Amino acid sequence: MKRIFGIAALALVVISGWAFAQVEITWWHAMSGARLGVVESIVDEFNATHPGIVVKPLFTGSYAETLTKFIAAYRTGTAPNLVQVYEVGTQTMIDSGAIIPVYQLPEMFGEEWDWGQYIIPILNYYSVDGNLWSMPFNSSTAMLYYNKDLFAKAGLDPNKPPTTWAEVEEVGKKLLESGVVEHVLSFGWPGWIFEQMHAYHNQLFANNDNGRSDLATEVLFNQDFGVMVLDTWTRLAQEGIFLYGGPEYSANQAFISGQIAMLIQSTSSLAGIEKASDFQVGTSFLPRFAGYPSGNSVIGGASLWVAKGQSEEELKAVWEFLKFLGRTEIAIQWHKGTGYFPTVNSAVKALLDEGWFSKDQNFLTAFLQILSGRRDTAAAAGVRLGPFVEIRELERAAIEKAVSGSMSPKEALDEAAQKANQLLEEYAKVIGS
Amino acid sequence: MKRKTLYQLFIHGFLLLSVFIIAFPVLYALVTSTLSFSDAFSFPPKLLPGRHFLENAAEAWNRVHMGRLMFNSTVVSVSVAVVKIILSLMAAFAYTHFRFRGRGLLFPLCMVTQMLPLPVRIVPTFELMRAFGWIDTYWALTVPFFASTTGILLFRQFFLTVPRDLSDAARVDGAGPWRYFLQILVPISRTNIAALFVIEFIFMWSQYLWPLIVTNSREMRVVQIGLKMLLASEQQAPEWNVIMAGTVIAMLPPLIVLILFRRSFAQGIAMQTEK
Amino acid sequence: MPQDRFPGHRFLPYLLVFPSLAVIVVFLIIPFIQSVKMSFYTMSPFGTRLIYVGFDNYRQLFSSTDYLHSVIITLIFSAFVVLVGLGLSLAIAVAANQRIRGKGFYQIALIWTYALSPAVAGTIWALMFAPATGIMPYIISKLSGGYKLNWMTSPTIALLIVSAAATWKMLGYNIVFYIAGLQNVPGELLEAARVDGAGPWRTFWRVTFPMLSPTTTFLLFVNMLYAFFQVFGLIDIMTRGGPGNATEILVYKLYRDGFIHLKSGYAAAQSFVIFIAIAVLAVFQLRVATRKAVYAR
Repeated sequence: MKRIFGIAALALVVISGWAFAQVEITWWHAMSGARLGVVESIVDEFNATHPGIVVKPLFTGSYAETLTKFIAAYRTGTAPNLVQVYEVGTQTMIDSGAIIPVYQLPEMFGEEWDWGQYIIPILNYYSVDGNLWSMPFNSSTAMLYYNKDLFAKAGLDPNKPPTTWAEVEEVGKKLLESGVVEHVLSFGWPGWIFEQMHAYHNQLFANNDNGRSDLATEVLFNQDFGVMVLDTWTRLAQEGIFLYGGPEYSANQAFISGQIAMLIQSTSSLAGIEKASDFQVGTSFLPRFAGYPSGNSVIGGASLWVAKGQSEEELKAVWEFLKFLGRTEIAIQWHKGTGYFPTVNSAVKALLDEGWFSKDQNFLTAFLQILSGRRDTAAAAGVRLGPFVEIRELERAAIEKAVSGSMSPKEALDEAAQKANQLLEEYAKVIGS
Repeated sequence: MKRKTLYQLFIHGFLLLSVFIIAFPVLYALVTSTLSFSDAFSFPPKLLPGRHFLENAAEAWNRVHMGRLMFNSTVVSVSVAVVKIILSLMAAFAYTHFRFRGRGLLFPLCMVTQMLPLPVRIVPTFELMRAFGWIDTYWALTVPFFASTTGILLFRQFFLTVPRDLSDAARVDGAGPWRYFLQILVPISRTNIAALFVIEFIFMWSQYLWPLIVTNSREMRVVQIGLKMLLASEQQAPEWNVIMAGTVIAMLPPLIVLILFRRSFAQGIAMQTEK
Repeated sequence: MPQDRFPGHRFLPYLLVFPSLAVIVVFLIIPFIQSVKMSFYTMSPFGTRLIYVGFDNYRQLFSSTDYLHSVIITLIFSAFVVLVGLGLSLAIAVAANQRIRGKGFYQIALIWTYALSPAVAGTIWALMFAPATGIMPYIISKLSGGYKLNWMTSPTIALLIVSAAATWKMLGYNIVFYIAGLQNVPGELLEAARVDGAGPWRTFWRVTFPMLSPTTTFLLFVNMLYAFFQVFGLIDIMTRGGPGNATEILVYKLYRDGFIHLKSGYAAAQSFVIFIAIAVLAVFQLRVATRKAVYAR
């Protein structure tokens, strides 16, 4: 009796092992700090509810490092199934020949998928000719943060932040006069903010429909609009209002420690800033240039790309995971844990319904900004460039030179544009369009 | 007499100032590692130690999995130092105790190697790791460093001073070159071996660029990259107290090695300088 | 002159040398040759296309203002590290070599920073000079009546601070070698100078310093190698080549172009140019070292 039992048990184990042969999906990402925790808990939830699939997330460094490693791995045939690539890497990924566009996945498995459920500006950003190539995951945009306490101290209404750049200048002067701060405003990611201004006012940043209908061959940021923007910032710097804050997030420190009263920064910094600051934080839309058309704020962050060379089993598993990420509860979980936009409309509605935004109005600002902007023009959708990483560095250098006074805005932008165009030319040659 | 004391005072003053200036950054880092987050962020900065070191250290430890990082760094540093010493001893032995064809190439070879630090050949070496399948393994972190011209030259210089009588006596006793090598030459090279160990351990422990590009997974990263991860993990304000606690942990092993072997290290250097 | 001390063992030397040689050839020499080859091509980011471009990469390099800027930055940076570093270390070593009490203590207290890695040094200096909250900006603002030191927005300041950090880290190493070198100066020579009536200053410059030239040349070479290559970790942690490209030394530009901008051919051309620079330096050092050594005898 015992022996039969033993054999049966063994058989069961063997069969179950065989039947539940798990598909392993490796996912390389660049989410560090608190975001890493949220990634892991979402993945754990997926793995628990999807027996037969094991997603293995791996933090592979910064966005740049992750991309470099992906390329190296792909060339040895050891690429992960899924990789997170920053938004500036979009064109490179499209031209890589190493990925399967996401829109082809449901077709592969005979499924119908409603792409309209994703937030339109985000969807547009990662689409080519109306088809979605990478799955939106962590998207943010930029907005204006301001220190309500300092505003009050300076005799300004803490609930009336500036809405135009002219008002920024006015408010800035008052803040300086009152002596509460030595400088008023700074930005994070200066190059990105420069691009934001273009899209926000429906101005093209590069030709060929912002690089969306064909590879861009010429940048347009050194034309009248771009020069006007940089002129304004330079003037604000000379007045002591604008303080150049360095690349990426380095300007946050000055804002958190109360040394400046306003900060233009990624929406993903909101949670961190609220936590670290000891004053009341207010948020508002990006300041506009009055008299110019309106567009939309640009998507930043990263998206998920599906590598080629996987078995059909693996692709199915990847697709299940991507669908999971688009579920309302998961999108909400991601937003609440990191501050990035939830990727689907249903999540936005649910958040509104549960009163999430009334608990902290600041979380609503980014949404309102992006959902109220245009979504039908290439200019508002944001620019797509091959050598985007380098070009963004050129933008930053131009801003630095103009703001520090070593070059006039027009000269700085012209110099940057000339170098950028050369890069675009080389890129086109190498990709062999 | 007075002039001499004044002179002594001056020298001591100068030296103490130098010691202080050299030590100050690290002292400040130590103090910061004991503060709480808000204290670390206060302006004006605080100079007195707080009580949060263990907390901060634990936070840094967990955040970047320091345990594993320290383990990796130790494995890499020790194994490379040891293998380098063995290989250098062997090569120096060959060059100084034998005549063979190609012996004259030693110096040119060492010279050329000195001119080929990693960045000069970084992409193809990386590709080689890819081709061997060594990315994200200990192999990639160690094998390319196994040859050391510093070591070869160091031991060569030392072996040249070993009198012929020693090897003659060994031969008369019937000992072959291996026994001579292992039982006589290596033991008398103790000081140089210890000095080289310190140098190579510190060199490998400090490696940054190579581990950065050659490892991906959390399991294989080294402590230096862990520091970068600590700094990068704050999108907003860097948590200096935690970062410094991590830095203190990362600093310790090479410091310990240097202090343990300081006598041999100093002697080894002195020996090398004595042309 | 090395003779064959164990005749009859014909293969042993080859066996002994083989492992080192194998590593050098496989991991250093062959990749270097491939790198040179790569510098004549342009490759797409994903390696899908390899286009032969002849000397285009080099042409682009030498006509690029960014590259020229990087060369200048590297020269300024290395000059600082070498001159300030060696100068200070020599002064400190001379002091530590005097007949005073506590010599042993001083020696260990001065060399221990050798054990710190460039990345650690970078992290600590980033802390000290953090614009809003660091102690150095605070001290400087107190001393200068309010000047707000922000290295993130001033290219010159950034370069200065990064150079100071790099120099600081190497002080320990330089001091050890200088102390050893000083101890090797034959007493008789110093005695002879004293008898001749030379004061300490003249003795130093006429006797001690020339006797130190092998050490100085050696340290020069090592510090240059350090400033060119090993400081990568420090730069990556402190400034990442910024602000703008104010601290983008050649090795950092190489990394950025190769690994972030994904331009392998262009990066390979840069590495070859660095190689030439180092080769020239190495040959120079060898020449001076052998010449001076002979002279010193």
